[in-house]
Amino acid sequence: MPDPLAIEVAGVTVDFTGMRALDGVSLAVPTAGCFGIVGESGSGKSTLLRTILGLQGPTRGEVRIEGVLQPHRRDFRAQARLVQPIFQDPALSLSPRRRVGQSLDEVGEALGEPRDALRARLGGVFERLGLQMPVLDRYPHQISGGQARRVAIARALLFQPRVLIADEPTAGLDVSVQGDLLNLLQEIRAATGVTLLIVSHNLAVIRLIADRVAVMQGGHIVEEGDSRSVFDAPRSDYTRTLIASWPRGQPVEATG
Amino acid sequence: MRGFAGRIWRERGGRTGVLLVALVLFIALILPFATPDPNKIDVPARFLPPSLHHPLGTDNLGRDLLARVTVGTRSALWIACVVIALSMAGGLALGVIAALSGRLVDRLVTGFCDIVSAFPSYILVFSLVALYGAGLGKLVVAIALAFLPQFARITRSQALTLRHRPFIESARLMGLPATTIIRRHVLPNIVGPVIVLASMNIPSVITTEAAMSFIGLGVQPPQTSLGTLIRDGYVFLDQSWWPIIGAVAVLAIATLGCTLLGEALRDVVDPKLRREP
Ligand SMILES: Nc1ncnc2c1ncn2[C@@H]1O[C@H](COP(=O)(O)OP(=O)(O)O)[C@@H](O)[C@H]1O
Ligand SMILES: [Mg+2]
Repeated sequence: MPDPLAIEVAGVTVDFTGMRALDGVSLAVPTAGCFGIVGESGSGKSTLLRTILGLQGPTRGEVRIEGVLQPHRRDFRAQARLVQPIFQDPALSLSPRRRVGQSLDEVGEALGEPRDALRARLGGVFERLGLQMPVLDRYPHQISGGQARRVAIARALLFQPRVLIADEPTAGLDVSVQGDLLNLLQEIRAATGVTLLIVSHNLAVIRLIADRVAVMQGGHIVEEGDSRSVFDAPRSDYTRTLIASWPRGQPVEATG
Repeated sequence: MRGFAGRIWRERGGRTGVLLVALVLFIALILPFATPDPNKIDVPARFLPPSLHHPLGTDNLGRDLLARVTVGTRSALWIACVVIALSMAGGLALGVIAALSGRLVDRLVTGFCDIVSAFPSYILVFSLVALYGAGLGKLVVAIALAFLPQFARITRSQALTLRHRPFIESARLMGLPATTIIRRHVLPNIVGPVIVLASMNIPSVITTEAAMSFIGLGVQPPQTSLGTLIRDGYVFLDQSWWPIIGAVAVLAIATLGCTLLGEALRDVVDPKLRREP
């Protein structure tokens, strides 16, 4: 029996009042690779990620993570070890009223792991991410954006998840920092074997990091395939236009 | 906290509010130690005008009015605090449940709030008391019920906007129990506006209780509140107007002070809550 797919999205449709954000999206994310989803703003990328995470219930269709049916809006306990998110603005994913250390200790609470054991693991994770222990005593607004981003990644890694899902992880970063972050994610993937699912409207980012790519437009997936073949020999007209409109070697973020 | 208090002090009306509320608290909490027995009857000394011995005069039974006003004020404040605490606790619970439990529960809670607040609060309290009988306990519950929908609504809307904030969604995806998320991440981020609402509602609660006690449906003698004092004074208004003055003055000072303080608190905590004209 083959390994289950890391993520399997089958015929997912998501309707919001008056509009259809996703229209029958199917997607197969293989285990241990880096899967990129690219598409312009409003194409439904975030909605797709939120549906995969179970934050958004699909109108139709279903999602499986490591073969397990996504239990939308029910208990996230079991799912927490399978998949963790890195949100678009990681600083906002930390409670503004709690010290960084308190936010990280919640991982131990969620996993039922004693605080000492968690803190011991934390040392290794912090080292890998280049974080210093004193940030534990700070509040989110007292640390830099870069640190907050790393703290959010650290929290996700402490779950030792099978899949990491990142929505626009490079949004708002300088080009050089973007590269660092993408390298960091690749290192983590190489070291832990975690499956990465990364969404960006930035073609250059996806091109740099993903080995498989899906292109989204208007709630549909218009093209999916091996990164090289999608970028070098796009089959869909939309992908061709997208690539043509994106100047080579310019990974600078616009807002979105 | 120093900065917070300072901002209230500098807010327009904040200083007056603080001073008036401090005066009312002084009357309710400190003055009783310095006044004579509020229930000591001395019929020959009835309807005395203010003097050194009786700073507010005496009532129809010759009881010291200042002493009676202090205990009346104390019970009025105490009742208001209990009512507000009940409304706030019930409203927080209902609002959070409505916001986080899905559409059906949300409809039910919202519908309940709409029905309750469709009645003017006086009419609702009056009908409940008429239905279930007069008495302090029932009055407290009835007023708390009348003021509950506002707390439920503001809690619900605050919780709804919080629900999709990334730190709440992160906490959910970490698999933390819902009760932990609510207690640790939701409630601390909504109490600010709820406390402002509570402080803005204290004056209406005080006047509602006074009105019900005035018409005899609330606090029953020998217990006193501002409402019973005003009624006692009103009954004998043709013989002396001193008995009514103290209680009315304290009622006015208390409602004005709480209103000013509540508004200052609101403007400091969250200026957006100010209703646009
Ligand atoms: N909660 C929501 N309610 C209503 N419409 C939404 C909601 N979330 C997203 N949308 C709409 O769905 C479409 C897709 O949005 P999104 O998934 O955020 O796209 P992307 O991440 O690709 O920019 C947009 O038109 C957006 O306005
Ligand atoms: Mg998006």
